[in-house]
Amino acid sequence: MATLWLVIQREFVSNVLTSRFMIGFLICLMSTAAAVFVQVEDYEKRLAAYHTAVQEHQETAQTWDLYSQINPKAHRKPNPLSIFNVGMEKSGADMVSIQLATPIWEKEAQKQGSDNPFFSILLAIDAIFVFKIILSALAILFAYNTISGEHEDGTLKLVLSNPIPRDTLVIGKYLGGMLSLFPMVVISFIIGILIAYASPATDFNSADLFRLVAVLILSLLYVSTCYLLGMLLSVWTKEATTALILSMFIWGLLTILYSNIATFAVMKFPPYQLQAEKEILQHIQQRWEDFREERDAYILKKWGYEHPASAVTPISEGNFLVAMYTSSPEEIGYSEFYYIKQIHIVDVSKFQEVLGYQEPLRIDYANQAGALLKQREQAEERNRQLAKDISRFSFADAYRFAVGAITDTDRESYQDFIGGARSYKRQVVDYLSGKNAFSARAWFSSDQGAAAFKDLPVFQNPHTSLFQSLSRASSDILILLAWNIVLFIAAYVSFLRYEMD
Amino acid sequence: MIWHIAKKEIYYNLMTQRFVLMIILLPILMIANALIYGFGDNGYTAEIRDYNRKVNQGRSHIEKYAAQGLGELAMVGPAEIPKHPPQLKFCADGTDALIPHSITIAYRINWERPEYEDLVESYSWRELWSLEYLPSNHGGDATTLIKIDWAFIGVFMSFFVILFTFDAIAGERVRGTLSLMMSNPIPRGQVLFAKYLGTFFTLIIPLLIGVLMNLLIIYLSGNIPFDSDSWLRILGMIGLFALHISIFIFLGLFFSSRVSNAITSLVWLLLTWVCLAFIFPSLLGLFVGTLDPIPSIERISAEKRLQLANIDDEFRPAALVEATKLSEAPSVDNPSATRLWATYFGERSEVQTGIADARVDQQLRQVQLTRELTQISPTACFQYAMEGLANTGIVSYMDFVKQVRRYRNTFIDFIKTEDKSDPHSLHIYPVREGLSQKPVDPETVPIFKERISHQSAIFPLGLLILYNVLFFIAAQLSFLKCDLK
Repeated sequence: MATLWLVIQREFVSNVLTSRFMIGFLICLMSTAAAVFVQVEDYEKRLAAYHTAVQEHQETAQTWDLYSQINPKAHRKPNPLSIFNVGMEKSGADMVSIQLATPIWEKEAQKQGSDNPFFSILLAIDAIFVFKIILSALAILFAYNTISGEHEDGTLKLVLSNPIPRDTLVIGKYLGGMLSLFPMVVISFIIGILIAYASPATDFNSADLFRLVAVLILSLLYVSTCYLLGMLLSVWTKEATTALILSMFIWGLLTILYSNIATFAVMKFPPYQLQAEKEILQHIQQRWEDFREERDAYILKKWGYEHPASAVTPISEGNFLVAMYTSSPEEIGYSEFYYIKQIHIVDVSKFQEVLGYQEPLRIDYANQAGALLKQREQAEERNRQLAKDISRFSFADAYRFAVGAITDTDRESYQDFIGGARSYKRQVVDYLSGKNAFSARAWFSSDQGAAAFKDLPVFQNPHTSLFQSLSRASSDILILLAWNIVLFIAAYVSFLRYEMD
Repeated sequence: MIWHIAKKEIYYNLMTQRFVLMIILLPILMIANALIYGFGDNGYTAEIRDYNRKVNQGRSHIEKYAAQGLGELAMVGPAEIPKHPPQLKFCADGTDALIPHSITIAYRINWERPEYEDLVESYSWRELWSLEYLPSNHGGDATTLIKIDWAFIGVFMSFFVILFTFDAIAGERVRGTLSLMMSNPIPRGQVLFAKYLGTFFTLIIPLLIGVLMNLLIIYLSGNIPFDSDSWLRILGMIGLFALHISIFIFLGLFFSSRVSNAITSLVWLLLTWVCLAFIFPSLLGLFVGTLDPIPSIERISAEKRLQLANIDDEFRPAALVEATKLSEAPSVDNPSATRLWATYFGERSEVQTGIADARVDQQLRQVQLTRELTQISPTACFQYAMEGLANTGIVSYMDFVKQVRRYRNTFIDFIKTEDKSDPHSLHIYPVREGLSQKPVDPETVPIFKERISHQSAIFPLGLLILYNVLFFIAAQLSFLKCDLK
């Protein structure tokens, strides 16, 4: 035990005294601080924009006086952890406008709250990006000459001539290296958290802090993987320079190139074929045609009217002002708009009945159209998942995905938001049908009392519990762990068989 | 003698394992680039088809409204104006997915106000057209922003340059060959230059081979047409590659001769490289946003609403229909009402155009400032110069915006001069009834023509040359001063 401690100490001291330690420490600290600072500013802006948007929406909601005017909006609340890991947070939409007869389509969701959309051309650099690129390089720079360097200097022979078992030496070297990297990670991270805390807009709750601690542990695990990679190469090669060049090459490949090429290849030649968007839009048009036919047939059969508007009695030319339909090829929804001019002299009770039948049907058809869109989205998602699975092989990306899952800023949590908007729409529809709003007079006219939206459900941002996040991240954490174990065993075994010539 | 040392350097480099790594990786990247951009059904062919469709739509739009008379055309304006897709996107992608590909035309149609039929004359109108700068809708799919284009391959080349140069001097010093070489009657300057040449050729030749392979694949795929101009631009890009590589060779030689051992030199180089290639351009860019804030989108839209509401209140207050100044509909027989409507449309359009233009100007100015500041990184300069030659990136959009605005003036001038030639017209712009009602010959209506300029490449090119000179001097000085042992 004492010898192990001695080896650790020696490794630690020899690392800390080098210039690479000082330079690396400074760069890591400064880039983390700068990245967090920039992202905090951005988060504040997004949060302010979110609050304004929600408030404006509430104000608009108060001006609705017809049930048919209902147009609730689902706003995505900025996630404070995006300060550390931006992920999908800035590239996705942050508002879904819910219209009853229009399916929710991810592509139509709106992006707002960004003062300058052109800034998205810059890489979103956050603390995790800095860790992913810089810390990994530093870990490799610490590890590449642990064995081959000593071999070149001739000190390895001297060390091994002492009664130190080889396994103690290799474990000691690993722990010593990790011990010198440890303060870099922890201090950079703490500085980052302090900067984030200094902003009045951030309020981390205990769950957030726990998530941050999990991110810290993951970062250490990641650094350890890179260190072990450097160490393994250091055992395998006799010269320190060779070890360095090889490990830098692998570093560049895994951190920067690999996942980009994998993602591009999958997106360019998708294995799951997507239906052309145009075709889907045509299908949707077809669905709306069907809707019109089904409705007209039903109305004719049940009431004997040719058109819903015929239900207003007495039928006269001047009763209807505007009857507008839109379902143009670009539109995925179908809207019909009636304005009854002389509401006080006509009988609309039958018209209400017709609407009570027609509107739920229209919503139903919109859901069918939504299912068509969703099918395509799912194929896209499957391709994306495949690209992700291929990228996972690189531990740098496994780290990125795991952190994304834990900070809740990854693609899945964005999908949760879109899914949340979809289920919110169902709630709104249930609310309306619970109130019999479709056959109410207030659906189209406010002359006998306006529509009341008193306890209209409010959109709740979906919340992922810590446990869920961890289970989402589990496969990536396992990959990181597996890399660690494999690399460690490889380094360990190779060093035991190392030949001193 | 220079050539002798350079040759020795080249032979030495060829034998190293990093050369093997590079010679494997570079063609892979180049072929990947060719496959990604040259094949698949969403490449240049699809873009150009889309562009042609929009151009034709624009033409038939003008034909349709020109037949309905000059007044109608003046209010409707041209159709959506598409930007010509860049051919050389595979060279510099310029985050193309995030840049708008067209400028749309906004107009609003107002229905009659029949509720007040007895109070006001019925008139349904269309407001004057205005340009609308919609941000590109990328549907949240742009998470991987690093594209495998030539510019990125150039950045990756600089990484290899570092791997080749970090021990160029320090390594020889360790091996003891530096003092042997210096014992020959060669000036130090020549030794450095020879080393530079040696490294330069070991890097540029594999690069040229990669480029040729890439171009061959793309050319054979036949999806991207090349004309003599694009070949010239590609030559220019190869020149940019050379300049960029050269900067990093000087940088490597500088650190390698400054520092006593190769490893410290590599640490310095690597960290400098990460900063120059990734951290600086983006982080500094985002930082500028905090330095020079622009009013938030909410404030702008609130201001716009307020100003438009003021105009509406003045001309046709919603609450007091009796007080409306626009109770009479414009017509050829009623010049005074027509004039009022013209003022109303004119003022609204002025507010809308003014705010939209100012907004996009502010945003683009911020981006411009970012670009100017980030040019302290040679890698960013290289990227911008590549984008300039390929005519991609945000600068090409800025240029496009300017040209579209010029076209807007041409279009309005055309309407006004055309109107002057009709003696029956009231010559009141902009209202349909105040202008000539005669159909216009669609051939005479000006059409938007995009002029492509590569001016934006000049400044970063100059900077690249400047950096070369600076780093050359730095490397020289540091090598002249360095110890041999």
